[in-house]
Amino acid sequence: MRLPDKKTLEKRQLIYSALLILFFLFILSGFIRLQVTHKNIYVQKSISNSIRKIEIYPVRGLIRDNKGNILVDNRPSFAAALIPKVVSDSTIQVLSQLFNIASDKIKKQLRKDYGFRPVIIARDINQEQLAFLEENRLAFPGIVTIVESKRFYPEGIRSPHIFGRVGEVTPKEQLFNPNLKTGDLTGKSGLEKGYNSELKGTKGVTYARVDAYGKEIGMYDINRNVPPVHGSDLYLCMDYKLQKFAESLFQDKRGALVAIDTRSGGILALVSKPDYNPADLSGKIDPEIWNQLLHDENHPLYSRAIQSTYPPGSTYKLVAAIAALQEGIITPQWTAFCPGWFKLGRKTIHCWNTAGHGRVNLKQAIKGSCNVFFYQLGLKIGLNIWEKYSRMFGFGSRTGIDIPNENKGLVPSTAYFNKRFGVNGWTRGNLANLAIGQGELLTTPLQIAQFAMILANKGVYNKPHLVDHIYQYSTKKNINFPAPTKYVNGVSDSIYHFVRDGMHEVVNGGTGWRAKVPGIDMAGKTGSAQNPHGETHAWFMGFAPYDIPEVAISVIVENGGGGGAVAAPIARKFLEMYFYGKIIPRPVIPKNTIQTEIQQPLKIPDFKILEPLPVSTWGDSL
Amino acid sequence: MRKNIFSRIDFVIIILTVFLLTAGLTAVYSAVHAPGLAKNFYFTKQITFAIVGFGIMLFIAFLPFKLIERSAYFIYAASILLLLLVPLIGVKGFGAERWLAIGSFKLQPSELAKLASVLAAARYLSKPDTDINRWKHILITLAIILLPFVLIARQPDLGTSLVFLALLIPILFWAGMRWFIIFVFVSPILTAVFAFNFWAFLIWMLVIAAILFISRQKYSVLIFVFLLHIAVGLTTPVLWSQLRPYQQKRILTFANPEADPKGAGYQIIQSKTAIGSGGIWGKGFLHGSQTQLKFLPAQHTDFIFSVIGEEFGFFGIGLIMSLFVLLFLYLLYLAANLRSVFSGISLIGITTILAFHVIINIGMTVGLAPVTGLPLPFISYGGSFLLSVLSMMGFALNFSMNRFKN
Repeated sequence: MRLPDKKTLEKRQLIYSALLILFFLFILSGFIRLQVTHKNIYVQKSISNSIRKIEIYPVRGLIRDNKGNILVDNRPSFAAALIPKVVSDSTIQVLSQLFNIASDKIKKQLRKDYGFRPVIIARDINQEQLAFLEENRLAFPGIVTIVESKRFYPEGIRSPHIFGRVGEVTPKEQLFNPNLKTGDLTGKSGLEKGYNSELKGTKGVTYARVDAYGKEIGMYDINRNVPPVHGSDLYLCMDYKLQKFAESLFQDKRGALVAIDTRSGGILALVSKPDYNPADLSGKIDPEIWNQLLHDENHPLYSRAIQSTYPPGSTYKLVAAIAALQEGIITPQWTAFCPGWFKLGRKTIHCWNTAGHGRVNLKQAIKGSCNVFFYQLGLKIGLNIWEKYSRMFGFGSRTGIDIPNENKGLVPSTAYFNKRFGVNGWTRGNLANLAIGQGELLTTPLQIAQFAMILANKGVYNKPHLVDHIYQYSTKKNINFPAPTKYVNGVSDSIYHFVRDGMHEVVNGGTGWRAKVPGIDMAGKTGSAQNPHGETHAWFMGFAPYDIPEVAISVIVENGGGGGAVAAPIARKFLEMYFYGKIIPRPVIPKNTIQTEIQQPLKIPDFKILEPLPVSTWGDSL
Repeated sequence: MRKNIFSRIDFVIIILTVFLLTAGLTAVYSAVHAPGLAKNFYFTKQITFAIVGFGIMLFIAFLPFKLIERSAYFIYAASILLLLLVPLIGVKGFGAERWLAIGSFKLQPSELAKLASVLAAARYLSKPDTDINRWKHILITLAIILLPFVLIARQPDLGTSLVFLALLIPILFWAGMRWFIIFVFVSPILTAVFAFNFWAFLIWMLVIAAILFISRQKYSVLIFVFLLHIAVGLTTPVLWSQLRPYQQKRILTFANPEADPKGAGYQIIQSKTAIGSGGIWGKGFLHGSQTQLKFLPAQHTDFIFSVIGEEFGFFGIGLIMSLFVLLFLYLLYLAANLRSVFSGISLIGITTILAFHVIINIGMTVGLAPVTGLPLPFISYGGSFLLSVLSMMGFALNFSMNRFKN
């Protein structure tokens, strides 16, 4: 082609130039959008890119007894973590061997988190592992060790069922509380769970500058950092010395003891045996120990005091007595004859005292724990009234104690029986059984102790609770938890008086004489609950002092035998320790005062030996 | 006319080149800056290439004008040969074979091919008997440019191969192709894009009909072109659905990288963050957090403009873009004032290559153009490319100095 004329060329130049300028203006508009109109968004983005928020875990609050002694403390523990973006396959291999975790599992864990946030692979690593990682830090990029804290229990502290345990958050818990992050520690049971929000404290935050590889290259702005807040300390109502002593009373026994301060509802002792060492479940849990605990047929993980339910046995006769008197079904003068047996339909049921109690009135029946009297009384009361009074005294519902997983027990009703046995499938025999605290009725030791507290205070009581107050580090103040005062509505004072008097006689010459603390006027009731697992469960419930009560107590020894022989002495020792701070050499109660219940001469034990009294074969009532 | 040879040097080109090179070196210094590092290895290397390149530019500027025109076919043949050698003895980089190793020096034949194709096409079109509006001559011109396109696309180096497609229209346009033929070339591409939306397609078809009506071509031609568009519009969606999902995804990611925030989108997001956070005045030299903390991928090569955007803000961006626009407008002005057809078309080719790189690269950093891996002329780190760009400037200088020769 030949050179076109000047005009044509200039026209082409103009068209091309205009097109180029258009393209550049188009792109320039992109820069205006980013740098002028939307600048702030990108400034923020750029800050969050290079500034990493690092959470600082607070110190978990301590648990102390009423004297301020530390019961649950913290100790540092070390965790090995990996930074997903930096870590290499060979590093994962090394970790997998060191901690004996499959490398696939580690990789799976890493895949969940993306970027530079360290992912904890192994918690509570031992000193050798820690030393190994620290020494070879440069050889394995991407491994970091993180200081955490784990629960520490000072020498001599046990009571795992009170304190409970701390563990890593599960996905299910996150579902209920979206504030929990993966890897956080939270209370799993006991006080740790019940008071988790108080104990856990508040996380702190620091901001660090990081490069694109996640390496920290210094602090960002110190003024923005927020220090963590120490979790609140819990102060319990109990003196741990007393709790520890109470625990020692259950050596080689299965059972529970609950002692409540009747004036406040504060728990003085909450024993469940057998138990385990809480240190075993702190930090890394040895799977062997865990399996052992899980499959132990004595169920040490179970808190018997609040989770196990038992038939209450004769201690429950008091409910029938109150119901009958309050509803005017009988008068205190009403009597029944106990020949030692009772015929109900075609069945003959026996009193524990096969020789019979003779003609007894209500007070005598309580004192001697006469079954025949209460069979007859139960039939007179009827199921509906019996159920109403049971519920009035807190049975069949949770006491609301401040630790989780409380069992509410079972108070059967007409509807329950109809559902379980069919409308005509159950008889008056079931009812008679319930009156003496047997049959379908189930209660927890805590409920029985609460019942004792209600009787001690003549109907007014406080919700049982372990924690007296908390100390808040942020405000530097003690915060008291109000324990709501409750009352039983509709039982007159004279009736309480009558029943308390009966309980007084039980301890003073009745079946519960072994619970008697010298110098302290007190009241109680024994029980020996029949159960399908062998020997009867030995029960004792009571309160002391009689006139101005301080302590309500319930004791159960599973398959221990008679309540008066096995449970009552435990209560006595506990109360002696409570009132005197020591075990008192026992003044012997004259033999004749217990004649009413013991027909055969009782071999009086050698009271120099203060350990559990020998179990008598039938020295007690049902 | 014949005065001192140095008085003929085009100082507009020289000054703009020096300004752009300085800006580039500043940006590279910041992009590879690492505190505590005594020597800035990349920067030293880049400054060496800049000096060498400047020398080459001046050398080319003083080459005899006729020699360039005469050796155009030879250079073209050599570059095609080198491209053919790449699959045989090439060095792999970034999953594609692009490099030829000559001793320790790595040569990218596709860089040479860009210039060679421009020169060869210009040589062919400048023959007195070539008529760009004849089909035979059109096809030969297309072949000259599309042969390296195919070879490079096969490497695969999609970004660089697109440069050749971009060359086509401006060169044909400058060579005087009738706008109707250009329309026939360009419009099917738009038709294919509009075919995915019925209403857009309908409106586009009305526009085409109107343009055809105005064009006053023979009815048979008009009907043929219109039917061609209908056919393209109907078959494109069918062809699209024939593609495997991963192929569709690749094309969509190419068009819209932010749909893939962990892969290609990551670069765009980081780049936009860097540019946006720079604001109007920038964060200051060596004070861009995105740059200095290495959040920007390829920040010394493909995404170097983000560094400027972050540290020098809209002000710096505007300055550099003005330099580029000035350079291109000047080159276009020059092209219109050359007495030689060969050098005019060559200069249009060179301008197009550079402008395409600049628009695609800068557009990419703000998310307005796809991520293709095209570096930014004068600014991006990379010896081979810098030498290639400065050689082109050398030819521009040469044409300018010989503007009155034909």
